[in-house]
Amino acid sequence: MNEHIVKSYEDELNALTAECARMGGLTEAQVADSLEAVIRRDQALAEQVVTRDERLDILQAEIERKAIRLIALRQPMANDLRRTVAAMKIANNLERCGDLAKNIAKRTMVLAEAEPIAALTRSIERMGRLVSGRLKDVLDAYTASNLDRALQVWSRDDEVDEHYNSLFRELLTYMMGDPRTITACAHLLFVAKNMERIGDHATNIAEIIHYEITGDETMSVPRPKTDGLTY
Amino acid sequence: MPTTSRSSLPIWTALASAVSAALVLGAMTLLHRLDLESAIAGATLVLAASTLIGWIGVSRERQNEDLTSPRSADELSRGPPYAAMVDALPDPVLLVTGLEPDDPTGRRYVLANQAAREVLNLTLETGLLVTAIRDPDVLEAVDEALFGQVAATALYDLGGTQGRVLKAFAQPLGGGDGELRTAVLVLRDETDIRRAERTRADFLANASHELRTPLASLSGFIETLRGHARTDDAAREKFLGIMQTQAERMSRLIDDLLSLSRIELNEHIAPAGAMDLALAVMDVLDSLGPLAREGGVTLNSDIPAIGRAITIGDRDQLVQVIQNLVDNALKYTPPGGVVTVSLRLDLSAVEAVVPSMEESARLSLLTPDHGTTRYLVLQVTDSGPGLAREHLPRLTERFYRVEGQKSGARPGTGLGLAIVKHIINRHRGGLAVESVEGRGAKFTAYVPMASQAALQVL
Repeated sequence: MNEHIVKSYEDELNALTAECARMGGLTEAQVADSLEAVIRRDQALAEQVVTRDERLDILQAEIERKAIRLIALRQPMANDLRRTVAAMKIANNLERCGDLAKNIAKRTMVLAEAEPIAALTRSIERMGRLVSGRLKDVLDAYTASNLDRALQVWSRDDEVDEHYNSLFRELLTYMMGDPRTITACAHLLFVAKNMERIGDHATNIAEIIHYEITGDETMSVPRPKTDGLTY
Repeated sequence: MPTTSRSSLPIWTALASAVSAALVLGAMTLLHRLDLESAIAGATLVLAASTLIGWIGVSRERQNEDLTSPRSADELSRGPPYAAMVDALPDPVLLVTGLEPDDPTGRRYVLANQAAREVLNLTLETGLLVTAIRDPDVLEAVDEALFGQVAATALYDLGGTQGRVLKAFAQPLGGGDGELRTAVLVLRDETDIRRAERTRADFLANASHELRTPLASLSGFIETLRGHARTDDAAREKFLGIMQTQAERMSRLIDDLLSLSRIELNEHIAPAGAMDLALAVMDVLDSLGPLAREGGVTLNSDIPAIGRAITIGDRDQLVQVIQNLVDNALKYTPPGGVVTVSLRLDLSAVEAVVPSMEESARLSLLTPDHGTTRYLVLQVTDSGPGLAREHLPRLTERFYRVEGQKSGARPGTGLGLAIVKHIINRHRGGLAVESVEGRGAKFTAYVPMASQAALQVL
């Protein structure tokens, strides 16, 4: 990348990317902690996640403000414009992930009062790890400006869906088998859905990275899409 | 070279003094008629003495030279080779700088040693700290060291498929208001400790739960045998047979649980030593041949020539992978069916899992972290009943059994695929499954192919 004549302009652009990465780190921690709270039935941790969500909202607003300021004052072109817009869009996606994590944490407080279901907890944990890994991979790709790694995240989206569908079915089985588990299972179903949506946001971020680096809005490789929700 | 002239200096002074001494002696001989013999003896003595002095001078100089050879002279004037020392440390070390507390993007890492570059996957030696580490707890610890001037620690969950956990130590190195502050961040791998804790807990939970069933059945039969079946010979024989099966199952279960625990403990430590995967496949096929014939299943294979499919791996463990996969395939394939084992070379992670069946359900059960490696791809295809889509994500779960499927006369422990997954993960490889219900299943396991460079080092 060629150096800009005005040094502080480059600094401002870098600052935007760095803020975004920092926000990414916070989001990762929120998602990981909310899952940990569900798995370990840890109410204190869940409360922490809920209160920390505000920091993400503030960061997102700040990134947006900085990006708009940069566009207004510096009038970035081409590459720089894409970088600015990408930071803004990624911050939006991360903020949504934070909200979903907060929602997962809130459900922990209800789930902690019900009887634990070991087998379901394992399935939730497995899906959670997959989604956390997805988020980490895509943010790694963003900070390293690595298109290949972003594309990998994007093309493996169906794994999360498969886990979600499998979990969905598992939950149905439990609910049909024992109506007393319905409350807990219904909440777990939303937990699973929220995780699936966090996975979708990770895919969105991969698309934004693709746009930032190539300037191309449509992805060049077709995505293998499985249509599994037949029940 | 300055050193040569310096070291030769004493020789010349010694020679000069010897020559002048000889001249003085000669003059004395002439003037005072000193007899020639004593003059010559004196001259020789003077010459010898001065040569000795000169030689001592030279060797002294040499000794000094050994202590301050040109390389260490330069380096010692700057102090010990700290940069090289830090680079050689096994723990990741980063030197971090920051200027303003309220400028979170101003923190940079200005030095990252070899271990840090590997663990954090860094390509640059210096850069923004957030591009290397995003974890908010670690960043907070760094801030405390930089701006609070106190040492701080944090737990750093690196994630990834190996699930590494590091402990981060941030230590202030100085710098005051308005100037550049520095701190050192050291990461220590604590995966071992945490993994050991977890594995032990898992082992106990699994062992107690899964062993209880066969144990309860054993004690039930013992009670019956001591009670009303005491005199019934036919019943006794039948019960003893069942008891033996249960006891064998328990022993298999213990074997599998132990081997799973062992593999899990070493999962984050990459194996060393080259091995030929084709040879391993042949060995397994030879040993399972009789079983296939017994079950009326045709065992086909498509493997490359020996010496081409080389990987860096643990031979025993990879044999276990092949064995478990082929054994599973044989178990679920009805008589007259076909099991095919193939080994392909030099594919990317994406190419390795390209679907080959029409309208199949497929899922990657394990995906390696970084995708530029080339892989050896082992595929085991059976013509059994296949697997329904909803079972796929749970296949590697311990003790998970697909309902409604009979595993024939040799029930498994439900740990086979879990073991395969953990071994493959240790080898930094991947595992995928593809299946069409009613037509069969295909398991794909892939491990990194050893590069020529890696083989030369070994």
